[in-house]
Amino acid sequence: MTATSAPEAALGVLPRADGSAKYSHAGYTVTASVNGPIEAQRRDEHAYEAHVDVIVRPAAGVGGTRERHLESILQSSLSQIILVKNFPRSLIQIVLQVEDSPENDYVNTKLVQASLNFAIMPALMQTAVLALLSAGVPMRATATATAVTIAQQDGAKRITVDPTPRDIETARSVHVLAFTSHDELLLAESEGDFTVKEWDDVYETAKAICCRSAPAKEGVAMVLDDEDASGPDMRQFLRSAAGAKVAADLHWK
Amino acid sequence: MTAPTINLPGPIFAKLSPHPFLLRNLTPAASNSSSSAAPTRTNGRASQEARPVHITASSLSHAHGSALVRVGDTTVICGVRGELLPVERIPQFRPLVDNNSQDEIGGTGTGTGGSGALRDYDLLVPNIELATGAAPQFLPGVPPTALAQTLSTRVYSLLHATGLVEAADLRCGTAPGRSARRVGRIRRTVGTRIRKWERGMRRRRRRRRAEVEGEERVVAYWVLYVDLLFLSFDGNPFDAAWAAVVAALRDTKLPAARWDPDRELVVCSRTEERKLNVRGLPVACSAAVFMEKEQSDAPGEGRNWILLDPDRLEETLCREMITVVVDCSDGETRIKSMEKQGGTVIGRELIRGYVGVAEGRWKEVQKAMG
Repeated sequence: MTATSAPEAALGVLPRADGSAKYSHAGYTVTASVNGPIEAQRRDEHAYEAHVDVIVRPAAGVGGTRERHLESILQSSLSQIILVKNFPRSLIQIVLQVEDSPENDYVNTKLVQASLNFAIMPALMQTAVLALLSAGVPMRATATATAVTIAQQDGAKRITVDPTPRDIETARSVHVLAFTSHDELLLAESEGDFTVKEWDDVYETAKAICCRSAPAKEGVAMVLDDEDASGPDMRQFLRSAAGAKVAADLHWK
Repeated sequence: MTAPTINLPGPIFAKLSPHPFLLRNLTPAASNSSSSAAPTRTNGRASQEARPVHITASSLSHAHGSALVRVGDTTVICGVRGELLPVERIPQFRPLVDNNSQDEIGGTGTGTGGSGALRDYDLLVPNIELATGAAPQFLPGVPPTALAQTLSTRVYSLLHATGLVEAADLRCGTAPGRSARRVGRIRRTVGTRIRKWERGMRRRRRRRRAEVEGEERVVAYWVLYVDLLFLSFDGNPFDAAWAAVVAALRDTKLPAARWDPDRELVVCSRTEERKLNVRGLPVACSAAVFMEKEQSDAPGEGRNWILLDPDRLEETLCREMITVVVDCSDGETRIKSMEKQGGTVIGRELIRGYVGVAEGRWKEVQKAMG
């Protein structure tokens, strides 16, 4: 699978969960289930708001410290966009199962990698948001995320969107940014070696992907927009995925 | 009828309703502002004021390198211990293709060659323990908490991303410089030994031939176990932990190890030691965002304060956190890592300004490192 492939999503794939979604993009495939609001365990119970519980399961093996870190990042971000104050003393549980991740042909594959895998974060975030939409959990905004790398190539800087594992390995810096649908910066995780100026470029690139204003008119304008696009339009994608699900559900009318 | 006013001492007010307590301190009332006009935090600091850092290096006698870092009431001790890992024990070991490639490894590539070895062979093993009693929330007899696991992942990631230590410095090999001088002697002693034992020598002979040709062969790697223990926990664990890791690595002296061809062993010197080469001085700087309204649904409304180096009370009341790791040792400010999560207050402009704050913190920590 190439990195430039368009994202794909299906909503409501699991029959028993309150909401679920399957999402694949840039070689990653993630399935998420959302249950909630359900009764919280005593120790997780909060008097004023719902507890958001995120569980990340890797494609192989059991989760380790890296998954705990991903969970804590997702938990803090998602509890910002979910209206947690509406459901005091309850629990919203999000389980993210990684099904497929791209392999790096250049290195030995090792099962246990404690290092943070940046490229998987957008996929996890996007799947979680889709599953929350599918479960009908009230949210303040939706979120879109993307991963960007900066590589030094022949003396020039090259910005890559949706990097492959090989891109990440050769890149100088790796960045993950997520924006809410109000164009606010929700999450920014970067690693490597970069300057403020470079980060600004990354910010612009990521914002163009995550927060592109939807074309006002359908039809010609949209086709033109797609041609000069520098990357996938995540917000439009989220909208169309949810729209397709609603259309399918209301087909009987 | 006026409502009765209750005067509570500070600590009780803080326990009963921590959020209004902190808010009240940050917004001093206009009427009684004669003495303390400037808004301060509950700990008496200004919002952009960090706690002073105290670093004591070489505080452990049995570790190869160690450091004790105190940031206010957060105290963390870090010990680095090296252990030799012979290459025969590494599964999927790939010998270095050529010696010239070592030069380019040093650069920025996070994956190729040298740094790849760090990651592939797990040469850096950080572990973080939050001691029972360091803070009231750490209970005895429980598995590592999510906080401890998150911290250790962040330290591990950053150790690799910053390239603080390079695989080239952890290699023990048949030294290329000395081999030419030693080859003659090796040949003589080995010659008699080969006559003695005829079996199983083919592999060894091939090695000798390589040595005679002056090639460097890696025989072992140092594995650095970086253990961190929080003795006392009062917020902002990552900054303290990272400062401790850097200080301990800068303090690390590994014994001089050489390959003894006669015994086919790596032997370490009892007296001679060599300082570990640590590149750069990355410093972490964290802050939390305190919102005026605790209960609001839209986090955009209300005032907010960015509290540098939050303590434990502040951390429990803040959702949004930012950590920036900067390195100004080359004159230019390079950002090594940035983590911002849990809210939408900090946008692009604030991050730009925050890098300047982190530069100030870098100078403080650099001074403390000495």
